Amino acid sequence: MNIVVLMKQVPDTYAERKLQAGDNTLDRDASDAVINEIDEYAIEEGLLLKEAHGGEVTILTMGPDRATESIRKALSMGADKGVHVLDDALHGSCAITTAKVLAKALGTVEYDLVIAGSEATDSRLSIVPALVSEALGVAQLSGARKVTVDGSTVTIERTTDTGFDRVEGAVPAVVSVVEKINEPRYPSFKGIMAAKSKPVTTLSLSDLGLSPDEVGLVASTTTVESYEEAPPRAAGTIVKDEGNGGAAIAEYLASRKLI
Amino acid sequence: MDFSLTEEERQTRDWVRTFVQREIQPLEQQALRRERAGEPGVTTEEFAALRSKARHSGFWGIQTPEEYGGMGLSAVMTALIEVELGRSFVPFRFGGSADNILFHANEDQQKQYLVPTIEGERISCFAITEPGAGSDATAIKTTARKDGSDWIIKGEKTFITGGNEADFSMVFAITDPDKGVQGGVTCFLVDRDMGWKSEYIDTMGEWGPAALIFDDVRVPDRNVLGEVGEGFTLAMQWIGRGRYLLPARALGACERLVEMAIEHARNRVTFGEPIAERQAIQWMIADSAVEIEALRWLALSAAWQVDRGLDSRQAQSMAKLFGGVKANEIVDRMMQIHGGMGYTRELPIERWYRELRLLRIYEGTDEIQRRTIARNLLKGHVSVRGALG
Repeated sequence: MNIVVLMKQVPDTYAERKLQAGDNTLDRDASDAVINEIDEYAIEEGLLLKEAHGGEVTILTMGPDRATESIRKALSMGADKGVHVLDDALHGSCAITTAKVLAKALGTVEYDLVIAGSEATDSRLSIVPALVSEALGVAQLSGARKVTVDGSTVTIERTTDTGFDRVEGAVPAVVSVVEKINEPRYPSFKGIMAAKSKPVTTLSLSDLGLSPDEVGLVASTTTVESYEEAPPRAAGTIVKDEGNGGAAIAEYLASRKLI
Repeated sequence: MDFSLTEEERQTRDWVRTFVQREIQPLEQQALRRERAGEPGVTTEEFAALRSKARHSGFWGIQTPEEYGGMGLSAVMTALIEVELGRSFVPFRFGGSADNILFHANEDQQKQYLVPTIEGERISCFAITEPGAGSDATAIKTTARKDGSDWIIKGEKTFITGGNEADFSMVFAITDPDKGVQGGVTCFLVDRDMGWKSEYIDTMGEWGPAALIFDDVRVPDRNVLGEVGEGFTLAMQWIGRGRYLLPARALGACERLVEMAIEHARNRVTFGEPIAERQAIQWMIADSAVEIEALRWLALSAAWQVDRGLDSRQAQSMAKLFGGVKANEIVDRMMQIHGGMGYTRELPIERWYRELRLLRIYEGTDEIQRRTIARNLLKGHVSVRGALG
């Protein structure tokens, strides 16, 4: 079974994140870049399914040059190859054009299952997996906390407020996963050493049959009109417990309409 | 001149960075709480679990040769790893290592001491320092006299790292008083159950070394490590095994401390402005950042010289000296930026303040490093132009 994992490189959530003046897009050079955290769970799930069913895991990403580092990390975890969609014209692409590009790139590889993280920590739209499945015309199974594949049927468990839904679909399909699904492995030292020799294909827009005016800022369906920096943290309130600590805290929470 | 890392080096470094962030730093708050209560910050079991997790990914025996199952990493890579580990005060070490001189063990000794030490089944300690012989290791007084096919060791060792936990020690004793260090000192592998005792030495830091008492401890001749009379050569080899790693670890701590201070300076408001706006604060941050950068390249250049097989002793002494002095200045400044909070035991700053002080004393004091550096220059062994000539 061949699996493609959609992976996004995002600014480190531990670092301060910034937008760039001018076009109000994310300043990707302002902080360290890492694999989007939930995507690590997607990669892990891909590797577990490969271990159970055989086949290959391909990492697909769209992003700037340095996204290669994240592809290499995914390869060091055990993925077999990478596809990097790299083109300056992609800068500022919205979710819809991103999904269009990813769907085109998926047309260049064989897959039974596409696995994605349920959201990225930078844009937090949680919509790309659905858009990709729509563009591919295949089933979407979202928010999976468990994935099983039996022949041509993929089944997931989707957490709900009261328990979980069991959702079934036919492969090929797009599955998005949540953090409950597994515990991502650390790359092994051998994996790190082996990653260098694994193939990574770089695709430009023209390789995908797309033109620059179909993507990027010019074709974006959403724009950031303006933004403000978060105000500096205000000093906290200290409640001294002089026998009435509980009541004082309750009063404070009530004043904030939190209880 | 290329200062960049290869892709593998970067991934290896980042692996450790992530491991520290996800596995070690989350233990810090609990460690501080336990230490405030007078307990060990991280238990032996917790350390074992961390080491086992790392080993599962092949991070084990960082500098242990591959034929012994280790990673056999270069000095530069090891220094980069130490920097990352230094970013937590939790004294974590990857498993799978043994003292360099244990590799001189003969076949039987390797099975009995070296391999179990690498595997983490046995714990060793290196015992040369004595109450009257610290920086001047040539002044040791512990003796070993021959008795049939055994040796009888008598003497006292002190400030022995790991001496409380070790189940065998590598002990240096005089076997020929006439020759002294010129062929008269021998190294013995001595099991704890052969009769030596250890006493915990309380210190300013959380680290506590041991005093070891050898009161006529009988050791069989087969437990001589290397050759009789060649002990001092082994001792010098042990002492020179990786002095560049100490400042590398301190460098990680300094990076973390400055990051904490930057965060604090941005958020702490006095007289209506964040203290980050004050020149006094900015200068402390600027000076520290410059010194951190200087220390980084001093330590890495020493490691690079080790990898190239160059005589790195001067560079290692310089890195050790500069690291010890500057780390102490930096932790002092970062405490100053934090004000009262920095002085409390809620934050790890005061802990580092106590811990880093040791760096100026152990493994060659500041004064010994300066003596070495100056003598090397004055005697013409090295040029002030450094490694590039």
